Parts: sequence; C-alpha cells; structure tokens
Amino acid sequence: MKKFSLVEFSVNHPRLVVILTLIVTLAFATQFPKVRTDTNPKNMLPATSDVRVWNDGVEKTFALYEDTIVLGIVNERGVLNKETLEKIKRITGEILELKGVAARDVSSFTTIDNVTVDGGMLNVGPLMTSVPETEEETDKLGKTLFENPLFIDRIISRDGKTAAIYVPLEDGSNGKEVADSIRGIVSEEKGDERFYIAGDPVARDTFGNEMFKLMAIFAPIAGMVMLLVRYLMFRDLFLSVTLMMDAMISIVWSMGLLIGLGFPIHVMSSMAPVFLMAIATDSMHIYNEFYFRYRENKDRKAAIIETMKAVSRPVRNTALATAAGFAVLMFMQIIPVKVFGGLVAFGTISLRVLSFSFIPAMFMFVKEEKIDRIARSEDIGSDRTARFLRKLAGFGIHRPGTTVAVGLLLFAVAVFGITKIRVNNNLVEWFKKGSDVRVADSVINRNLGGTSLGYVVASAEGDEYMKTPEAMRYMEGLQRHLEKLPVVGKTTSVVDYVKRINRVLHDDDPKYDVVPDTKEAIGQYLFLFAMSAKPSDLDNVVDYPFQKANIWVQLKTWDAQAMREVINAVEQYKKANPTPMELKPSGIAYFNLVWNDEVLWDMVKGFILALIVVFCILALDFRSFKWAVIGYTPLLFTILLLYGVVGFVGKDFDMPISVLSCLSLGMAVDFAIHFVSRLRQRLKETAGSEPLGDALLWTAGRPGKGIMRNAVLFAASFAVMIFAPLTPYITVGAFIVCMMMLSAIMTIIYLPALITLTRGWLFKGDMQ
Amino acid sequence: MKTLMTVAAALGVMLMASTSFAASAEEVMKKSQAAFLYQGKDFKVRVTMRLVSKSGQERIREMTMLRKNFGEPGGEQKYFIYFHKPADVKDMTFMVYKYPGRDADRWLFVPAINMVKRIAAQDKHSSFVGSDFSYEDVSGRKVEDDTHTLTKEEKLGNRDCYVIKSVPRAGDMDYAYKLSWIAKDDMLPLKEEYYDKRSGLYKVFTADETKVVKGFPTVTKRTMKNLQSGHGTYVTYTDADYDAGIPDSLFSERYLRQPPRKWVE
Repeated sequence: MKKFSLVEFSVNHPRLVVILTLIVTLAFATQFPKVRTDTNPKNMLPATSDVRVWNDGVEKTFALYEDTIVLGIVNERGVLNKETLEKIKRITGEILELKGVAARDVSSFTTIDNVTVDGGMLNVGPLMTSVPETEEETDKLGKTLFENPLFIDRIISRDGKTAAIYVPLEDGSNGKEVADSIRGIVSEEKGDERFYIAGDPVARDTFGNEMFKLMAIFAPIAGMVMLLVRYLMFRDLFLSVTLMMDAMISIVWSMGLLIGLGFPIHVMSSMAPVFLMAIATDSMHIYNEFYFRYRENKDRKAAIIETMKAVSRPVRNTALATAAGFAVLMFMQIIPVKVFGGLVAFGTISLRVLSFSFIPAMFMFVKEEKIDRIARSEDIGSDRTARFLRKLAGFGIHRPGTTVAVGLLLFAVAVFGITKIRVNNNLVEWFKKGSDVRVADSVINRNLGGTSLGYVVASAEGDEYMKTPEAMRYMEGLQRHLEKLPVVGKTTSVVDYVKRINRVLHDDDPKYDVVPDTKEAIGQYLFLFAMSAKPSDLDNVVDYPFQKANIWVQLKTWDAQAMREVINAVEQYKKANPTPMELKPSGIAYFNLVWNDEVLWDMVKGFILALIVVFCILALDFRSFKWAVIGYTPLLFTILLLYGVVGFVGKDFDMPISVLSCLSLGMAVDFAIHFVSRLRQRLKETAGSEPLGDALLWTAGRPGKGIMRNAVLFAASFAVMIFAPLTPYITVGAFIVCMMMLSAIMTIIYLPALITLTRGWLFKGDMQ
Repeated sequence: MKTLMTVAAALGVMLMASTSFAASAEEVMKKSQAAFLYQGKDFKVRVTMRLVSKSGQERIREMTMLRKNFGEPGGEQKYFIYFHKPADVKDMTFMVYKYPGRDADRWLFVPAINMVKRIAAQDKHSSFVGSDFSYEDVSGRKVEDDTHTLTKEEKLGNRDCYVIKSVPRAGDMDYAYKLSWIAKDDMLPLKEEYYDKRSGLYKVFTADETKVVKGFPTVTKRTMKNLQSGHGTYVTYTDADYDAGIPDSLFSERYLRQPPRKWVE
C-alpha cells in the first residue's frame, strides 16, 4: 500500500520528514504578508449578482445612498428646548465635516427642507436655520414639525422626545469608523440627552470588525484549551504539542494557499482555522491506538507501523468523508461559500497527509520510557472511561429494542420540532441584548419609523406617468396599505411632497391635503418645490423622466422576513388594484432578504449534497450498502435531534446555523466510520472466535475511547466560544458542543443496538 | 531708533502694498460682475439648461429670461423669467426684484391653479430650478461679502487672467473659498473653482463660449459641475439681445399672470 510506505518512510527518516514539513510550512507562511481582508458580509454576493446590480441601478436612478447611519437624540423632557436644539445644530455641523459622510444629503433639523406658508408667503428651505431663542419661536418650530407628515416619525417622534439625524455615507466609507467619530462628537455633549447610533452599516461593519478580533482571540484560546485537554489525557507535553502543531501546520498551509491565490479573507473563511483545529482532533485515534499497541508490543517503531495499519483505513476515510462534505460546497453559487468549502477540504486533506508522515515521525522523538508510562494507564479492562463506554454499549446490546424505541420516539419529537423552524436572519440580533448596537436599534425603532430601509420602485411604461393623478393616488393607497403592517413604521413618496405643497399653497387648509386633480398642477407643484429645495429631495423619490417613482418603506426590524411581508403586501395590493405600473422591491432590507435566502439555501443545498456524497463514501468504504445505512443512522439522528431542538427553542434558522450543518455532518460521520471499521476489523481478526456482543464491547472500550476523547477535545475547544460577545459564535459554540457529545453517545449506544438488532440482515452472506 | 523707524516704514509700505493689492482684487471682481451681469440697460435671452445626473439622466429647463438694470452695476435689478419647458410648467412665470444689501423679493405664478405666490427669500446658495447653479450664481453675489486677493496672474488657454481668491466674510457659505479666473481683456469669468473645508475642490464653473452681442461680450455657453454628486448643469444662451427696451411695467403681477407674447416668445 502506498500510504503504508509513507508511514514507514517517516519512521525511518523522522528528521528528514519533520524538516521537510517545516520547510513546506514556511513556504506557505511566506504568503501571509499579502493578506487582504473583506469584513463586509455584503460581499457574500458578488457585485455582479442580480440583486446588487438592481439595487445599484435603483441607487443611481434615485441618487440614493447604499448606507445610512441614524443618530437618535432622546430627551425625556422633550427635544424642543433651546439646549437640546443647540446640541442638534452643533452635532449636525460637526457631522457635516466628517470624512466619508455625504454631507450634502444629511437630514437633520438644520438641513432638512420644509415647505411652509406664512402671511401668504411661500417658504421652501431648511426647517431650522437658527436655534429659537424665545418660547414662542420654539412653539412655532414645534408646530411646523408636527404639522408636516414628512417629519413625524422621521426626524421627530410623535411624543417629541426623540429627534434623529440621518447620515448617508459616501460609497466605500467604513460605517464603523464614521459611527465611532459620531460617538466621539456626542460624547463631548453634556446634559440630559442620550444618544443612540444605529443603522445597517454600523451593525455590519462593527460585526465584521468584532468578528476578526474574535477569530484572533478565540482561535488561539481554543488551541490552548485543546492543548490542555490533550495534556490531561496523555500527560505528555511533547505529544500534545505535536498534535497542536499538526493542526497549526494545516492551518498555515490552507490559509497560505488561500492568500497566495489572491482571495481575501472573508467572514466565512475566517472561521476555517477553528474548523481545521476541530478536524485535526481526528488524529486522536492514532494516539489512542498507539498506546494500546505499544502496551501490547513494547517496540516503538513496530507499534507505530501497526497502529497506522489498524487506523489507516478509518482515518483515511473519515478524512475523505469530511473533505467531501466540505468540497461539495465548491459547487455552490456563492463565492465565499465555495472558497470556504475548498479551504476546509484542502486543510482536511493536508491534515491526513500529516497524520501519515509528520505524526509518525514525531513519535520517534518521544522517549520510550515516557510512552511506557502512559501506555500502562491505557488498559481496556481497568480504565474507567473504557468501562463507562462498555456499559453504554452494553445497554444498546442488551436492550436493543428499548433503545431503538426510545430513539424512534425522540425522532418523532425532533421531526415535529423541525417543522417549527423559522427561517430568518437578523443582523442586529447577531449582537447580544444590551450591546450598544442592539440597544440603539431598539430605542430608535421604538420611537421613530424604523432603522431598516426598503424601497418599492414603481415603473411605468412611458415618461411623465408619475405626474398623473392616478399614479399618485395609486401610490398613496399602496402606502396606506403597507403602513398597516406592524413591521412598517413609515412610508414616504413623492405623493407626500405633492400633498404638502397643495396644502401649503392653499394657505395651509387641511382640505387640500390631497392629490390635486390634474397632471399640470402636480407637475407645477413639483417644479415649484424643486426651484428651491435640495435636488436630492425629489431625486430620491422620482427619476428624471418621471417614469419611475420610489416609495421609501422604513421597517421597525432587521428581520429578513419583514421585507418579505412588505413584498407580499405589495403583491396583494396589486392583485386587488390592477395597475399598469410595475412594482419591485429594493433597498438594503431587500438585499438582506435576498442575501439571507441565497446563502442559506446554498448551504442547505450543499448540506443535502454532502449527505448523499457522505453516504456514498460510507458505502464504498464499508464495501456494503447495509453497513453504510447502519453507520449513517446515528449521524442523521444526531443532526435531526439538534435541529429539532433549534425548532423547539425558537432559535431562527439563520446563516450561522446553516453553516454548521455541513460541519456537523463532516464530523459526526467520523465516529461511525471509526466504530464500524474497527468493529469489522476486530471480527475479521478474531475470525468468529469472539461473539458479536463481546466484539462490540471491545470496540466501544478501545476505539470508542478514541471517539470519546475526540468528542471531548472537540467540545472543549468550542465551548470557549460560548463566552463570545456575538450571538453567532455562541450559537456555533453551543451547537458544536452538543453535537459532538450527542453524536459520540449516539455512536456508542445506537450502533451496538442497531447492529445487534439487524445482525441477521447485516451478516447474511457476510463472513459469518 | 533709526532702525526701528526703518522697520516701521518698511512695514507701512508693505501694509499699504497689500491693502492696495486687495483693493485692486476687489476692483477686478466688481468690474467682472459688471461685465458678467450688468451689461447694457436691459437684456433678453432664451436659456436652455440641461441638468445631467451622475448616471446620465437628463432634465431640460427652457426659459426666456428678461433682465433690467435699475441703477449702477452692483445695484438694483429686476428679472422676469418665463418657462417653456418642461411641458407641464409652460406659462409658469417667475419674477425677482434684486436689491443691493437686502433680500430679494420673488413671485411665482402657478397657472394650474391660477395663483401668484410670493416666495420667501432664503438661502442664496440654494439650487436654482434644480440646477447646480445657486440663485447667487445666477444673479450675482455682493462683491463686498467676500475678501478678495489676487493670488496670481496666468494664462488660461490663450487668454491672460487674474486669479482671484475670494473668502466669504461670514462663515455660513457652502464654500470655504473660491478661485476665479477673470480674463484681462473683457473681464468675464472664465473659470471658478469652489473649495470646501472637508474635501477641497467640489464645484467648478466654466465659461465655454463667449460671443459679442451688440458690442457686449457675453458668455453664451457655461457649465457648472458638482464633483461630489457627479451632477452637472449645461447652459446655452440663444437669441441674446441687449437694450431691447423692456418696459418697467413688465415687472408686475399683472404681466406675471399674462406675459406679453412679444417679450417671452
């Protein structure tokens, strides 16, 4: 066997192999200085994707900004007082000076256009040019604010306690940096006011930033925990470090390759090191078996070679299964998902190459007496872990019916749980409750129209249509319809301007707060408005030829589903009220919906494909369809149970969870492969002299210990993540801890039970 | 003592030199304004404005502009504007009384509801009919509102120019300072660059074509580009005429409602 010779070569030339490994590692490490990062989750979809092209087009047509930060100013005594208004003016002034801010379109009391009439004189201009000095002036400002529906719920709350400043960002500026600058500005202010900074760019860029920090903190901590747990298991620092190096080397290789190929490190690929560290724990089986063998044999070299002979097949095949599980991701649509899949697959293969070369070579450097000491403690009969595992397996062997019945019951419950799963994604909820981002968002969403922004773009066949009374009335009706949704806080369109001007021109008579009857009047009103207002006021809501109009829909939640509700409501309205106009969703809220759907379903598709591929590998590996079915069962069962719990707990099935499904598959299958391979090997070795029950007990006690060690090690390192400040990491940590423990236990209990129950079928025509 | 006197004298000379320099820069700006906005007794022109967005969308504004001087250059003026395009604003008219030293009066006639409305004076730097020109760019800014210095003299194309830096005296302007290239021969501005504190150059005016009409050099094509928003406005003057004898009575509410064909066709 070719692999076998690699092991022999490695134990015969340990020094050469170690040096060669280090040279290759150094070569990959030289790529590291070229590293580029991309923290923007938006880039999960390429710039050429339909939704991004469409959104970019809409942004261009309506001179919109991709990203806007919202600054909320709350004063429990009301914001309409001289001090607070002075602060608003001062803060706005300073924000206008910030780099990255599209100053010309910042909306605040001092910059937003207002249309009023005073003593027969029409006034179009900024709402507040100077801070009111007297009470009458303040009252007048209040009246102006509250009589204009364009302002309520946008820059002032109905109760007058919250004001807002909208800060659009120039393309390519970093939301977190601008948000930090704004934090700096408001921290200078003293008084009763509280300030809240929210908006998609803040959440997104803060998350990207935190994520990289977390990876830099948690990957090493996870590594240290693994090192510690290993040390506790084997009491040998040298070998523990060797195992650690194994993981590190594969990380350097795969990250080096990624960087060398010119890919930026993305949200997803930044998770690869932790994944690889976890996958590296599979080499635990080599150690596990080595000590047993050494105890029996006392010859280091021979023990290594024998060990590798015994475990090579399962180790090779688990690697293959894991690699395949991730490699299928390379056939998905989304580039970062592809890159991630390829990256982890490559890392897994590297790990296995190291398992057959570097690790055996390193064993040659360990002092014999040390191995001897450790090996003495590895006795299948006296060892407490082994005894416990045998007991577990014994339960499965002696009460297979009960075990399987309980399993079926759990299965039914899990399936019911899965039906309750809600597919959703909410970027803001990736932050913990009580975090700045989350608090700011909920305060602003409670008091104002909403921080998440979607658009409904109406397009007509020909130019000028948007100026017609029927187009105007249609949009007005649609707005009222959308505002009935609880997730919608406010809608704004060109209609609101037209109605406002109509009323103001007629001396503020509320009777005229309606769409005028002729196209000429509408055209002239808009022209009049555009004569003095900021160009962006109208540009944001109608295109130049008046062929398209843009309805702003402010949402009170970042739930991806909220935009789906809006889209459904639009469809519903259109069905009830036919129109020649086409109505299409756009905006950041729409992007989040599409992004969420595409990434998520891509992962789900990948998962299903991986399920099939892994099954095929199992079948090939065991050279038996029946054994593959048996080996597959605990794995599938574990995954079903976990997702059942997800459904019951009411945790949204979001992106992090969907990413995990692939990992869980790749990892859980390992245990089954080890168990089944070693069991069948044992049966072959003993050639029928040992009853099946005893062979199962032996498998549970010896390779089973390796499985348990693997699971504990894996779980321990991921448990660290439960203390992370971002919820996706907590989810990942908790999920993996549960998954590892559960799948290890499932393997130890259910495989013996199933094998005992189906022995007739399984062994029919087989060796027995 | 003697040295002190010399230093004082030298300082005095320098001070005088710089003030006279400043005065001459202000002179240049006054002359330029007279040449640019106050030529003749009155002025009539057909103006076509092409408003082009960053993405290439276009809006057309077409109007007849009538202007009459009521005093010296820099003094009172009246404007009467009749809109031809876009189609739905046809017959809309707009009238401005411009006074030195105080806010202008403005009226607008909205034909669809047959109503003349006074429009409050406001930000002089707000956009004129949605273009990149501000009201001030169209009707002129009081020369004394800025401090002017002659920074250099140079050729622009093949024409000798003064390059004048103008810094607003009050801090509420859009720009921190403006550089103007004033042609030495006809005193018309050939180029203006607007700078703000944050991002430097953000708006550029260019005079693209000059024709002599009845002996008065007149800028007949001009462009204003906003570098921040990517928006640009291209203006063409046709049928320009000076001293056409526009009557004072034209600038009244009555004619605002019913503009005489003779003047607005």
